[in-house]
Amino acid sequence: MFPINIRPEKLAEEMAGFSQKLGKGAENLLHADKIDTGVSPKELVYSEDKLRLYHYTAAEGARQNPVPMLIVYALVNRPYMTDIQEDRSTIKNLIAAGQDVYLIDWGYPDGADSSLTLDDYINGYIDRCVDVVRERHGLERINLLGICQGGAFSLCYTALHQEKIKNLVTMVTPVDFQTPDNMLSAWVRHMDVDLLVDTLGNVPGELLNWTFLSLKPFSLTGQKYINMVDVLDDEKKLKNFLRMEKWIFDSPDQAGEAFRQFIKDFYQRNGLLNGGVRLGEREVDLKGIRCPILNVFGEFDHLVPPDASRALKGRTASKDYTEIAFRGGHIGIYVSGKAQGTIPPAIGQWLDERSG
Amino acid sequence: MSEHGFWDQDWMKVQTAYWAQWGEWARKATGGDTPAEAPWESAMRHWWQALAPGAPDAGGEFMQKMIDQGKMMFGFAERFNAELAGQAGGAQWGEVLNRAFAGLQKSFSGEAAKGDDALHRMMAFWEMPLDNWQRMVSSLSLTPGDLLRNMPHGDPQANIERFLSAPGLGYTREEQGQHQQMLLKVVAYQGALQDYARFFSGIGTQSVDRMRARLDKVGEAGETIESARALYDLWVGACEEVYSEQVMTAEYAELHGRLVNALMALKQQMAAMVDEGLGAMNMPTRKELRTLQTRMQENRREIKALKAELTRMRRELAERPAQPKAAAKAPRAKAARKKSVARNKTAAGKG
Repeated sequence: MFPINIRPEKLAEEMAGFSQKLGKGAENLLHADKIDTGVSPKELVYSEDKLRLYHYTAAEGARQNPVPMLIVYALVNRPYMTDIQEDRSTIKNLIAAGQDVYLIDWGYPDGADSSLTLDDYINGYIDRCVDVVRERHGLERINLLGICQGGAFSLCYTALHQEKIKNLVTMVTPVDFQTPDNMLSAWVRHMDVDLLVDTLGNVPGELLNWTFLSLKPFSLTGQKYINMVDVLDDEKKLKNFLRMEKWIFDSPDQAGEAFRQFIKDFYQRNGLLNGGVRLGEREVDLKGIRCPILNVFGEFDHLVPPDASRALKGRTASKDYTEIAFRGGHIGIYVSGKAQGTIPPAIGQWLDERSG
Repeated sequence: MSEHGFWDQDWMKVQTAYWAQWGEWARKATGGDTPAEAPWESAMRHWWQALAPGAPDAGGEFMQKMIDQGKMMFGFAERFNAELAGQAGGAQWGEVLNRAFAGLQKSFSGEAAKGDDALHRMMAFWEMPLDNWQRMVSSLSLTPGDLLRNMPHGDPQANIERFLSAPGLGYTREEQGQHQQMLLKVVAYQGALQDYARFFSGIGTQSVDRMRARLDKVGEAGETIESARALYDLWVGACEEVYSEQVMTAEYAELHGRLVNALMALKQQMAAMVDEGLGAMNMPTRKELRTLQTRMQENRREIKALKAELTRMRRELAERPAQPKAAAKAPRAKAARKKSVARNKTAAGKG
């Protein structure tokens, strides 16, 4: 049988449908209100330079884990992904699961921040935020949840400051940066990072956008817009689409020195596994982590392949290690309907069982 | 115009015009006389040209992207339909596909006939990764991203490099040297960019083969593709599959690294020359600024460490247990006694 049978009248009908959707949806698109993100109520509890530490407020009388949780997001992209809209909010669902949630917003570094190192971020900013949360709750140890690059930072932090961390949760976190299916790792292999940072100072968000779009260029810069036509006439779906679009292209510049060290030590030398990641005067050794660990990753993650996360197993001194493999991708783990109903409740339960 | 006039009326006029022309176009297409731009496409273009000036930037950009992809999707389907329409009833579908794909292969080897817009669009689809690169470069530069793309390459490049390697002479030799370095880096970047583009052109032909294989599978399974969207999705899937295989190769990693490094080397040379000019005018240079930024960060780090130390010491002081009463009072008592003695002495003196 001939594999293509697009009859002219069917094609004409399809074109007409496409055109009508465009025409009808154009009004929705061109008159779309400002796109809001970050929906859960929160208060600013600490700020330093461009960093802001927020505490999410739970409903009065809601049950809360007595040990608060600090979320460390990646420097790449913005943390409102975790609270992007009312019905797609990891934070909202973590609160519903009884967690007392704090989040670090790194802000947008500019030229004056170009000399910030990973030591400044991890032993400086994160440590001071952990201290603020500990002091507010009068606790020696709190729970830490790291996301993606923020997960790698959380591993480093816990390895160096184990006495301050009760439980560690890592989400879509790379540990082995050189798995054979890691595109980003392959691409930076021949990149002269010193030349890049010496030339640009801070690494522009546009360069990162280009890199991430290059992972799936036809889907992310072409097919996506055909899919968008299908939702143009549905105001709610359109806003969801625009919200995601806003997040994807909302890429802060990266502080040059921190970027230099992250690419060299983590991607090019695979330092979390091979050693050699030095922060200040100390070297990071994952064996320094002794607290319980929950490692959550996406089985279809094209950015942090699942094996890159699975590599954490057996690398620490923790005797309580749990994995959750989610059937979704890097972003779906936060925003998909399926993830909303499964991941935050599972994290909440795991923490509750270990926070007594 | 009513509140929704443009959408309800003008858009429908465009639609009417399109439908009127559709039959005519289809007739021509079946006769092998395909116009460079399909009527639906020109209708869409005119509609959007009328609307775009009043559209907010972000919304306008989205619409343009959707329209471009729509053109791509329908253009692709039309291309196949035109091929099929010209076939005699008894032709084997394998042969028909061979002919259709031969045209696509040509488009990647640069042999496509002029005016074959559908083929050019197919080719443009594979320029997406490069287009993304150009946009990124533009955002980092004052010049358009593709400024250097069409410079001579190959033998002329070798000649340019030889010419630019000659040492500078006289008082301005350093300046000449800077300009020579600059041009050498331009040539190196342009070479890296062309090699990168050539790589994509090469894998474009592979994606045509992959598409062909996918269509074969559809045919063998006794299934048919009945919509432009299904055909487009199959094409995107084939392209993405080939792309993901190829960009994981050592060859691509090397090309990618060379492209980024060449651009950075060029930008660094440009910055050095700008710095020279700024220095000559006694203006702050990038190099000086970088030094200040580094020193400032060192100061910030030290201040934060000192603050933390101060906080720790204060806390330790506050937490230090109170001194035993007797021990604490003793010195005061002794002092009080001394004062009392002194007062007595003074009083005795006065007396």
